[in-house]
Amino acid sequence: MSAGLSTETSRETGTMTGSDWLLADSLAPIIEGDVLQPLYDGAALGQLVLPFCASCSLPLDLEQQVCDGCGGSDIAWRRVEPVGIVHAATMMHRREPGLVLASAPYPILDVELGSGHRLVMTTADAELSAPAIGDPVHITFRDLGGVRIPSARPHNPEPTVTTSTALSQTEAPA
Amino acid sequence: MTASDRVDLVGLGMTAMSTTPGAAPQELAREAVDLALADAAITRADVDGLLVGSSQGIRPDRLGVAFAAQGGFGDLRLLEHVEIKGATTIAMIQRAALAIAAGEARTVVCVFADAPLVAGRGAGSTYAHSGGQSGTRGLERASGVLGSVPTYALLAQRWMHVSGARPEDLAAIVTTQRAWAVDNPAAVARTPLSADDYLASPLISTPLRRLDCARPVNGSVAVILSNDVAIGHPARLAVRGTGRSHPVRHRRAGAESWFGGGRRAVDDALEHAGMSRSDLDLAELYDPFSVVTLMLLEEYDLTGGAKAGTFVRAGETGPRGRLPTNTGGGQLSGFYLQGMTPLAEAMVQLRAEGGDRQVPGASVALVGGIGGRLDHHAALVLERAA
Repeated sequence: MSAGLSTETSRETGTMTGSDWLLADSLAPIIEGDVLQPLYDGAALGQLVLPFCASCSLPLDLEQQVCDGCGGSDIAWRRVEPVGIVHAATMMHRREPGLVLASAPYPILDVELGSGHRLVMTTADAELSAPAIGDPVHITFRDLGGVRIPSARPHNPEPTVTTSTALSQTEAPA
Repeated sequence: MTASDRVDLVGLGMTAMSTTPGAAPQELAREAVDLALADAAITRADVDGLLVGSSQGIRPDRLGVAFAAQGGFGDLRLLEHVEIKGATTIAMIQRAALAIAAGEARTVVCVFADAPLVAGRGAGSTYAHSGGQSGTRGLERASGVLGSVPTYALLAQRWMHVSGARPEDLAAIVTTQRAWAVDNPAAVARTPLSADDYLASPLISTPLRRLDCARPVNGSVAVILSNDVAIGHPARLAVRGTGRSHPVRHRRAGAESWFGGGRRAVDDALEHAGMSRSDLDLAELYDPFSVVTLMLLEEYDLTGGAKAGTFVRAGETGPRGRLPTNTGGGQLSGFYLQGMTPLAEAMVQLRAEGGDRQVPGASVALVGGIGGRLDHHAALVLERAA
């Protein structure tokens, strides 16, 4: 994958420029050893990977250690279908100098994923307005300082997944 | 000393609430404690318990248990740093009251100090730069969720979606609280505010405008609890009831994760007090954003079944309303000192020291606290002793 290369490139040009349409590279998560590293590892392969209870398959919060359904403590990070609907959405008008590169208000969405998780994200590209609650979104990725971050495409221009073979809840590749 | 079965709030000390950088939290706390001791007409030698509270994360030199030595206290029987986010103040009151009732301490100082305003940077910028690059918060910040406003903006959008509340309801909260603040000398925003003024306020994160957000200050409030009837301010305020609710929720599709969690805290506090909602003369709620007050009025069942927006727009939370609410301007127009903001205003009102904003005959107050993303609720019922 090319994430490492783009990191080098963007850091040479300083924190105020970067590969992302929205934020400065300085906001890139530190992924090595992070509790969310499986999510970032999946994202680097273009896959949305989220935690489930290994015993009962309940979708878990990103940092959840014990399943509230069955009490199991084995977490399985699994690739899920990159689709969801909007739970809540806002347009962020305040743009912190040095952190936000965009020159206009940007969307922040709380998305209910088909997998049963909820994930906060912005959009893959600049948008003039936020989608409405209940609107469908497709999940793709932004590159922020070499780290791929889940993001939403409100209008789903990409081909939809046509097989029912279930990208959802298949084990993510190691 | 002359002990009573009742635990009273016997002292209150408030620093000036500064919107510019200045003293460190420890200096502010020392000043508030001095004022509270003077208010109760006692000295540090009368104090055998100290509880401290401080906000998380913004600065490394936050107030802690070292304040016992820094603040000049003698040997103590109770000393703790209490931390449950915005529910901390009420948790301190509960802790102090239980310790006093159990005989573990007699006279307890509870102090909260915060100084988020630092030189060279606005408050919004300070919050935008805090939060780190790890875990869920790191992922959110990498998605543009900077500071706490956008999260509460999402909550506001969702609340309007599920409850039918409208932007004009937020405006009514803000203008009503400003009207209270006009007559509060401790408030940081006292200029009368019209609905048009509200609409001219810049959007921070839809639907929240700058005026929908709390005003961070550098300041401190200290209160003193005791069961010694021989000491304290002449207006005795009894701790009648407390309640807490910590709904443990998960963020899942098809479910709400912010709403439906706090009513138990209010129910328990009222039951503990042997009172009902109709006994409340005023409510002082924790209101970091306008939408929180709007939402809590319904979540806590304080409107007699009316929609909160209807209730507020009818003036019921204002002067001469059915439930005067956030009568010092709250955290929006008064000052954002977390849980001390509603507690201090309740004490001022119950002591009948509210001046031009005094609620006539106020004798029972509900004080609220929320923490996190409405993950923690705390309620306190205070009564002015006859």
